[in-house]
Formats: sequence, structure tokens, C-alpha cells
Amino acid sequence: MSSPDELARDTPPPYKRRRTGDTPSPRSSSPDVLAGDPDDFRPPRRVSQRGGGLSQSPTKAQYLNDFSRSQTPSRPPSELARRSRSASSSGSRTRSQSPVHSTPSPSRTPRSQHRSRSPTSTTQSRSESSSPEPQQLTPPREPLKPNYRARLVLRGHTKAVSQVRISPNGRFIASASADATVKIWDANTGAHMDTLVGHMAGVSCVAWTPDSNTLASGSDDKAIRLWDRVTGRPKTTARKSAGQEMAPLRGHHNYIHCLAFSPKGNILASGSYDEAVFLWDVRAGRLMRSLPAHSDPVSGIDFCRDGTLVVSCSTDGLIRVWDTMTGQCLRTLVHEDNPAVTNVCFSPNGRFILAFNLDNCIRLWDYISGSVKKTYQGHTNQSFAIGGCFGVLDGEAFIASASEDGDVILWDVKNKELLQRVHGHEGVCFWVDVHGETMATAGQDGSIRVYRHIKQSGEVNGNGTRELSKAPSQGGMLQGELPIRQDDVKLEDAMS
Amino acid sequence: MNLLLSDDYLLQDYPESMTSTIRSGHATMLRFNRKGDYLASGRVDGTVVVWDLETMGVALKMRGHNKSITFLSWSKCGRYLLSTCQGWKAILWDLETGQRHREVRFRAPAYMAELHPENHNLFVASLFEEQPLLVDISEPVDVKRVLPSAPRRSNTDSDLALKEKQAKEDAKQMTTSAIWTATGDHIIAGTSKGKLNIIDAKTLEIIYTEKICTGVITTMRITGSGRDLLVNSQDRIIRTFRIPNLSVEDLDPDTIQLPLEHKFQDVVNKLSWNHVTFSATGEYVAASTYNNHELYVWERNHGSLVCMLKDPKEEQGVIEWHPSRPLLAACGLETGRIYIWSVISPQKWSALAPDFAEVEENVEYMEREDEFDIYAQEEIHRRRLDAEDEDVDVLSADHAKEGDDLENFRMPILFNLGESDSEDEFVAVSTGTMRRRSPGESQADLSAGAESAAPVRKKGGAGARGGRSKKK
Repeated sequence: MSSPDELARDTPPPYKRRRTGDTPSPRSSSPDVLAGDPDDFRPPRRVSQRGGGLSQSPTKAQYLNDFSRSQTPSRPPSELARRSRSASSSGSRTRSQSPVHSTPSPSRTPRSQHRSRSPTSTTQSRSESSSPEPQQLTPPREPLKPNYRARLVLRGHTKAVSQVRISPNGRFIASASADATVKIWDANTGAHMDTLVGHMAGVSCVAWTPDSNTLASGSDDKAIRLWDRVTGRPKTTARKSAGQEMAPLRGHHNYIHCLAFSPKGNILASGSYDEAVFLWDVRAGRLMRSLPAHSDPVSGIDFCRDGTLVVSCSTDGLIRVWDTMTGQCLRTLVHEDNPAVTNVCFSPNGRFILAFNLDNCIRLWDYISGSVKKTYQGHTNQSFAIGGCFGVLDGEAFIASASEDGDVILWDVKNKELLQRVHGHEGVCFWVDVHGETMATAGQDGSIRVYRHIKQSGEVNGNGTRELSKAPSQGGMLQGELPIRQDDVKLEDAMS
Repeated sequence: MNLLLSDDYLLQDYPESMTSTIRSGHATMLRFNRKGDYLASGRVDGTVVVWDLETMGVALKMRGHNKSITFLSWSKCGRYLLSTCQGWKAILWDLETGQRHREVRFRAPAYMAELHPENHNLFVASLFEEQPLLVDISEPVDVKRVLPSAPRRSNTDSDLALKEKQAKEDAKQMTTSAIWTATGDHIIAGTSKGKLNIIDAKTLEIIYTEKICTGVITTMRITGSGRDLLVNSQDRIIRTFRIPNLSVEDLDPDTIQLPLEHKFQDVVNKLSWNHVTFSATGEYVAASTYNNHELYVWERNHGSLVCMLKDPKEEQGVIEWHPSRPLLAACGLETGRIYIWSVISPQKWSALAPDFAEVEENVEYMEREDEFDIYAQEEIHRRRLDAEDEDVDVLSADHAKEGDDLENFRMPILFNLGESDSEDEFVAVSTGTMRRRSPGESQADLSAGAESAAPVRKKGGAGARGGRSKKK
């Protein structure tokens, strides 16, 4: 049997995100760097006490060892402070807060100048002035201010991490990697809980069931596997021979690229490079329906909140909405420019579809009228199937997306204003998932980063960004150690 | 949510063709839950099977009865399911765990037991050759209260001979069917002498009696709104009635009227009816026929026959109409298969290509004024972005009802059912060869399955990873 690495290297289509595993980042697996983490993290935090909301940028910059000098070179605190002022002054249109509290990171300044062109900024200022969105707490409209701060770096994957998903109950993080494994982490402590080994090639996607107890993973070996989160083993079917492991779901003729569970957890939808969408009966592990969906690899898939609709998208530029029950196509959405669509998701209420296009745009579609309602710009997305999602803070929605320059960008849904640019990974950031105040990102550098929203109440003091114990060093452990670890997991289960 | 996109409302609202057949053992009883996403079926061997209508697969199997299931009733929340069998008992199942929640024993086989519309700890049971019971299981020891079957008499004059005669008659009155009204304040009971009683659920007194037919009342159904009553009796006539509002204050029992609306019958063939059901809205009435293969569907406005569904070559027993969709489920008496009829909505081709439209006839194309004007790419892009000034709401749901749905009980997904035995009619003999399983064999298999399932279940409860891994 050939090693997963070799298998993963076999097949390099251009823009698929797990292809990036071809360039293993040696730093990520080195324990020395891990041991150095806390020290590297601490000094810049002190900067954050002085310089307001700057903490994570210098943190990242220092930590990433000047990965991308154009974006966030590590600089002395003084310079950072200076740049932050300039950043906040340039962003003052969009924010009424004092510079100290402004969230934009230093890198925002050059970026907003050369990337977001004038149309965007005029839109920003206009919609800012006329925006009728009052928040319940404060009489004048205080714009939603996500303030995600770097909290943990989870290392252990030996190759790029293609997708990261926070479980619906917010307690676990699952990551899929080109190293053919899926890892489960504790979202709160960052402790590595399990490594799911079984796929023969890079894993592109994971999905949680609504009860957070089961994981599905899709791989380039054309199989979908279901895992028990508690035991860290494949799901078992116990009809006559108790404890028999459930066979992987096979049927796709090519790499699995995306997965989604229905809100009830009874149906699993998968999109593949074979251009079809499959709907699986999860209980029986049976292929229920295959939809001849697209004329290019299916790049994204999602269920709406009541489970009656499935949306799929493809690099052929089409977004299709399907009826789960009948398998019929109910709507097809195409933008005039026909840019490749690499990821889709429904809005929390299921009325809109967010589509990630390869022309550096994210579009919010009203699928009933078939029109684009909003276009979000400011990130880089030209060659990878990067992901993002909706996030909700204080009853206000925002959109989070990864960017190919390694950052995560958050937009206001209504006025398309850029709310926060979070510095993330060296290399491409492939995926971001938001669950309330927790945000997790997956990067080409093989690491997973966890962020936590820190509420800005008056003066920002650094104690909110307390460095928590980081336990990722248990990373790349072997499967042989699993039984011992299961006990820990169960114990932890029982306690909470 | 798919309703926003489909124009299925243009389609007919009664089923027209058989769309699927499912099977798990020999089904004798069917019931949809209120939301319509699960179908419970009771089998001859006493197993209760819950089907997921979205996947058409088995969601849950519950073993506890050992005689044929006679009736099933869902609680409002969809978490509890009450089943009665010919073996003198009723079991209330908790679908969260798949275990029995309560078990109630009777002194006779039960025709049926229906849960109170709001309270899953209260149900009314009608028994064979016994008086019906109102059973309260909210306490650890269940409280059974006997309901009367004898008709309410208005004459109070003291003719001794007449009284004796009446007493004799009353002794023969047996309630064969008892259901709740929509509010749960009253019980409507049908007797073996064709009398219909309305019983106050608090005082347990009959407040209204009417002789509505000559034969035994076999089935009674009410619509979701609770305003219409459907009665099947052995005199080969299906009747519908308007139910008066019984929940009004100071209800005078003497003013209650139960007007007959329609009589459905087959005057030519003199068919009698196995089972009847209302459609989702009550607009249609469907019935399965005795000694015949057809299902009859009438509409209630004019009382005319709409269609006859005659696909499987089998007599149908219990039939059930889906609570919201034009979908009808019936179980075959001979094979115990569950047949499902519904409407097949055609694929709209314009949905596949948004720049195409389906037109009935040729339409002259009207060109937009600026349709072929050439603008710079940036200009177009800028205009597009500027046009996006509409306010969008991505959070609040359109219908409050949907929100309720999400808060309802969610059935755990079990992985240990193995291959759903909708296919278990066929056994693989060797590669590529299948043969139909003989009835006796499948029974043996089922009991074996029950044996092996029991220890696994226990193990799962103890937290081992073998068993019901999805259980919390």
C-alpha cells in the first residue's frame, strides 16, 4: 500500500484546494517551533495593550517569521501604533469609534488603498450614512464590530489543511487535510482529541451531523467515511454481527470535494469531481439519489435550514438549487460574467445563497428572484476553492471568508463594509468556519487557527486575550495510542 | 422552503400514481406523524417500524409487542408513539431512546388507543368486548377510568318495562372506536350498534348520542381542523359529519347537532370499505375496498368520485393520507407491503437553464433600449455594485411555523439498523442470484434479529461503542 502522501501527490488539478498538500511545510510539523509558540505569542500581546485592537497582527507577523513581507512584516510597536492610526483614519468613514478601539489591522491601510477600489468605498460611506439598522442596546446604530483575536494554533497535520468545521454544538473542531487524515480538536482548549485514519488519499471535506456525534469525510480516494466522534473510529453497524464497521460510502467516480448533512442528519449530500451530486441515506449507508448536476467538478454543496433544498455549485459557473425530496432542479443561477463558483452556502434563514466566485467576489443571491443582491470584495480568490460562511454576533449577521493571501475577511452583510481583516496563515487560507464567538481557519501551512471574539467594551485591556494553554503538540500521533485517549474523551464528555 | 420555488400548487392535490413501495415485515397499521416526515407502521409480528419519508428508509424499529399491531398514535411533539396490539396491551414508545416509555395492560385485546392531542400521558382506548378506558399515565401507576358506552337517554319517565329493555340493550353496546376532538375536551365514540356518543373528557359523561348507522362503526377520523368527522361502518356506507364547536362556554348538550354531510358508497358493486381517511385539508376522502384492489378517492364539495387508484394487484388494508402533501400510503393485506401514491411533478426545463423560458406559444421579443449598448467592463461592474442597495435579511425566517418546527423533537439518527430491510424480501443465494424469501423464513430471521438486537441495545446504553452509537 502506498503512503497517503504519494497518493495525494498523484493528482494535481490546478485549483483544487487540497492539491496544495504537494508543498509540505516542514515548519508545521516541527516540535521546536511548537515549543516556542507561547514565547513568541506573549510579547506582542503587550503591544496590544498599548496599541488597542492590534494584538493579533503583530502576533501573527512575528510568529509567521516574516512570511509575507508585503502584508504584515513584524515591526517595532511604535511603528505599529503609527500605522494603526493611519489605518483607523482611513477607515474613519466606516467607524465612529476612537482609533484605539478600531479593529482594522495595520495591513488594512495598504490594502484598502490598492485593493478596494473607489466604488466599494463610496458604497461603504453611503450605506453607512443611510443605514437604518439599529442595535437593541445602543440608541445610535453601532455597527457590528467583530473582533476576532488569535487564540490557538493547532498543529499536527503534516500537509495543508483543506477544510475545518466547528461542530454544531461548538465544542469540537474537525479538520481535513491533504495528509489523508481527519483530526478532531477541542474547540475550547485546542487539545487534540483524535486522528481519524483510514482514507487512502488526501481528505477534502468534513461535515458534522447536527448532533455533533458523527463526522463524514470525503477524500480523493473516492470514498466517504462516517466516523464516530466519541470513539474516533468508523461508525459501526450492529445488525447481526455487533460492532461491524460501516463500509465507506462508495459510488462517486472521482474525488469527493464537498459534503453537507441535512438539518435532521438523515441525508448526506456529496459533490464530486465526477460532476454529480449524490444524496445518501445516512442510516442505511445507501445511495438514495444521484443528481447529474454539473458539467464541471461540483465544488460546493449545502442544505437549507429545513432540509428541503440542496444547493450545489461548480466551476462551470452554475449554482443549482435542488428539491431534496424529488431530486429535481428547481432553479439555476448564473452570473452574467459566468465566473467559476467554488463554494456555496445558504443564509441562516435559508432565503439567500452565498456564492464564492473565482473573480475575487462573493455574491449573495436571492435564489427566488434569481438576482445578485450583494457583492463582497476585498479578499483574494482566483485559483482555489476557498470557503467561508455566515457568522452571527449579537443578533447581527456577517460574512466570513478565507483569502488566498492567508487572511480572513469579515463583511457586514447589509452594507458590504469590510468589518475586520484577521491575519491568518502563511500561504493560502483555505477555509474559515464561524460558530458564534469562535472562528477556526485552515491553511496551506498545515495549521488550524482558532480565534475568539472579544467584546469591545470601552477600554480594551489585554486581559481578554489571555493566552490559553495550548496542547497541539500531541499532533501527528499514531493510531496505536488511540485507546488511551478515548478514555480522556469520554471523561471529558461526561463532565460537560 | 422548496415551496417558494415550486409551482406544485398548480398540480392536482390528490395522488395519481404509485411512486414507491416499501416493506419491512408484514405491515398492518400505518400512521403519519403530525409534521409528515415520519410514517409509523405496525407489523403482524408486533414490531413497530418508523419510516423516514425523506429517505424512504427505516429510521427505527421497536420490539415489545408479540401480537399483531392494531393501532398507532403519535404525540403532538412527535417524540412519543402509542401502539396497541392484539395482545391486550399498549406501549408508549419514546423515540428519543427507541425504548418503551410506558406499558399499559388491559383485560382484553385493544381495537385502538389514541393519544390526547396535547398531552402524551393521556389516551383513550377502545377494547374488544369491554368498555372503553381513559388512561392517565402521568403517575407511575396508571389510572384507568371507564367510559360509558350506553346511549344518553332523554326520557326519564319511569316505565319499568321500557327501562329493563333499555338496560338490556345498553349492555350490548360496545364502543369500537373512540377518538379525541381536536381540542381534546371531548371524546367521540362509535359503538357496535351504530351509535355515536360524544363524551365529555372531564366528567366522563355522554353529552350527546345519535344513531348514525345500522352496522358496527369500524373507523372514525377527524380532519386536522377538527371540524369534520369521517365514519366508516359495516353497512357499506362512509359518512361525513360536521362537528359542532363543543368548546364553547355553557355548552347545552341538548342543542348539539351533528349534521350529516355526505354518504359515500358504491351502489353498483355494493362494496364495503376496509379503511377510510381524510386528505390533508379534508377536501378528499379516500377508502380502501374489501375484496377488491382499488382505492377510491371522493371529493367532499359535491361528493363525487374523483379517481380510483388500482396499481398493485392486492387488496389494501389501512390507508393514510399525508398531513400536508398529496400522498397516500396503504398497506397490502396479503404481502404487508406499504404502497405509496403521490403526484409526480414534472421537471421544469427552464429551471436548468435560466436564460431560457418556457412559453406556451411564440412571443415577439421586445428589445430593451440599451440592450446592445457597449459599456466598459468597469462601468458595468460599478453599476452592478451600485445597484445593490437593497436591504437583505439573512437571519429571520419567513414563517414563524418553520421556527417551531426546528424546536420540535428531532429523532436521533441510528446507524445500527444495517441494511434497511425494505429489501429483505429477497435473499442473495449466490452471486447475481436472488430468490424471494419465504414467509416462515423471514419470521425466523426476525426473531433472530430481535435476539441479537437486544444485547446490543444494552451495550449501547452502557456507553460501549458497539450499539446505538447515536444515542445521547
